[in-house]
Amino acid sequence: MSRAAPILGRFRYGYVAPAALLVAVLLYAPFVWTAYLSLTRYDGLESPVWVGLANFAKLFDDAALLISTRNTLIWVIGTMVLPVGLGLLVAVLSYDIRGGAWYRVPFMLPYALSGAGLAMVWSPVLSHDGIANLLLGVDTAFLQEAPTNTFAMLAVWTWQQLGVNTLLFVVGLQSIPKEPIEAARLDGASGWRLFRHVIWPLMRPLTAVVVGLALVSSLKTFDIVWVLTQGGPGRNSETLAVTMYKETFVASDYGYGSAVAVMLTVVTGLASYLYLRRQVTVA
Amino acid sequence: MYRSRVATLGVAALVLAACGGNGAEAPQKKTELTLYNDKGAWTKYFDEMGALSKQSIGLGMKPTGYTDSAQYQAFIKASFRTNVKPDLFTWQTGGMLEEIVKQKQVAETTAVWQEAIKAGDLSQDLAPYYTVGGKQYCVPMNVAYWGMFYNKKIFDKYDLKPPQTWDDLVKTAETLKQNGVKAFYHTSVLFSFVWFEQLMAGTDPDLYDRLSTGKAKYTDPGVVQVMERWKQLIDAGYFINPGDKTDPGDVLKTGKAAMVSFGTWFNTSMTTRSMKAGTDYDFFVIPNVDAALPKTSMIFESGPLCSLTKAADPDASMKYLKWWTTSEAQDKWAKSRGDVSANPKVTIDDPALGTVTKDAGSGKYRLVNRYFEATPPPILTAALDGFSKFVTEPGTYQEVLESIQKAADEYWSTHQ
Repeated sequence: MSRAAPILGRFRYGYVAPAALLVAVLLYAPFVWTAYLSLTRYDGLESPVWVGLANFAKLFDDAALLISTRNTLIWVIGTMVLPVGLGLLVAVLSYDIRGGAWYRVPFMLPYALSGAGLAMVWSPVLSHDGIANLLLGVDTAFLQEAPTNTFAMLAVWTWQQLGVNTLLFVVGLQSIPKEPIEAARLDGASGWRLFRHVIWPLMRPLTAVVVGLALVSSLKTFDIVWVLTQGGPGRNSETLAVTMYKETFVASDYGYGSAVAVMLTVVTGLASYLYLRRQVTVA
Repeated sequence: MYRSRVATLGVAALVLAACGGNGAEAPQKKTELTLYNDKGAWTKYFDEMGALSKQSIGLGMKPTGYTDSAQYQAFIKASFRTNVKPDLFTWQTGGMLEEIVKQKQVAETTAVWQEAIKAGDLSQDLAPYYTVGGKQYCVPMNVAYWGMFYNKKIFDKYDLKPPQTWDDLVKTAETLKQNGVKAFYHTSVLFSFVWFEQLMAGTDPDLYDRLSTGKAKYTDPGVVQVMERWKQLIDAGYFINPGDKTDPGDVLKTGKAAMVSFGTWFNTSMTTRSMKAGTDYDFFVIPNVDAALPKTSMIFESGPLCSLTKAADPDASMKYLKWWTTSEAQDKWAKSRGDVSANPKVTIDDPALGTVTKDAGSGKYRLVNRYFEATPPPILTAALDGFSKFVTEPGTYQEVLESIQKAADEYWSTHQ
């Protein structure tokens, strides 16, 4: 063994110190501070006043929070069905055909837009005097009535996210070894049966990642809702992330906003843990 | 081991030293001030003021404009606790100003006010909006009187005149409706409070004031009646859809609605759309709903320009605020935006706005503080959400009032 090894060993914590410091300062400290604020009444100016679990008790008595929880749930389920489900469909349908990559291009392009940019593009389409009503020849309040507005925004979200999900599923399809598929084909499997019993199980690791990412991003849906409806009218299109923002920065109720943030963190963490644990167990 | 501990302590000391720096630093002498504001669209006008102030008092000004009010307020509040402090910043009167005065963050401007009032550059009537605990804080960045902007060509087409009474206004709306024109603009976003404050102030301004101070409830019969009147107007079909995202300036220009109620600052939207006052559009004071009231209620707002007690160069900041109130500065400020000024000496080219400003200063109207400033922030947030819901579902007014009252009860239980 060279002399370098013990020297490196002695300073091993020094190497990770800058990164650890950054993580501690930028991630853990704000989290701990938010958790502390959730136990206080704080308007951003005066010193925080300790109120114990009062903010969390208020969570259960807040009709607006019930609505935003319902909307967040619609976002989670909708994301699984639409961007993820359709992404898989487009990937499978375009995978083994000639020029399939070109078919996928139109689905990919919207992914280049940011959430806020996406909402800006769709705002004039979905507003009451918008292009959607004109083209469809209807008089629908796409962004006003609940839960229509959440579904409308989910459709916009699908338009953007479909491409990246398709791309990931195509990568998954390409990573499947050819042998089991050929063997299954020799045994007479094709179409839906081939997909259901051979391709789908082989894609499970990648599906776990796609669904996990979609789960987390749908739970923290904010920008698209904020730009298109600001959570309204009233509070009928709010998601938990929008509620957190509004309570904290619009109403200057940092304590209650932090309690919503803590709740959202716990829900996201728990959902991710339960989902991934199940995936690992199944795998 | 000893050496490594010493090294660790040394690094820690360096880090602490780098993080510190809020000790007793000598005040900087500044030649250019930063002005943080929530009026991102007005950057051009602030730049013009910066160029003029550089010439006049040797102090330049660089604006940083936010377009999202909530983000802006969060930034300013956060800046109080850091060393990144604005030299000057815009704020709001009412509860918002009281909040930061209580925290001793904002510099007192009593001397500036006294001098400006003596010189005729500020009106005594404005002082109460800037007074907390008997002292003045900030100076008026702008003032605005609220009324109705109307599309003159549409009015001329149907032989309509600015209404003198509330009944006239309703008849005008009805005539427009008969001709397939929507009378009024309203929205479910941010300015959802406009018709509430107008109807409240024109029906019972005392009740409006009592609501602002927690001495009346949103569920009181007088408030319920106002909501019912508002609902009647919506049900009659006088308003455009509140979900229409067309800019109100374009709404008026294209005639999507014949009338738009806003502060005089809306004049800037007209002039930037090349619309000519008196030809393409005009302005009238909205008559009271209750004709028996002694004075016509007019919604009034004034946005403060403030400096911090711990500004980097307090003298320079105060010098700038003082200059801002002068007729030289205000003349430029009002003319560039085509708006009225807080300085009574400044004359306004637009005849309609000029008359309103003159009349408002003469005590002809009962000036009513705009709902946005008059209402404490937590109640305002609930109210904006509530009115936003109401304009899209007018049948929910009782539920909306109850939800606002719930927020009011919560707030006033700790702030009376």
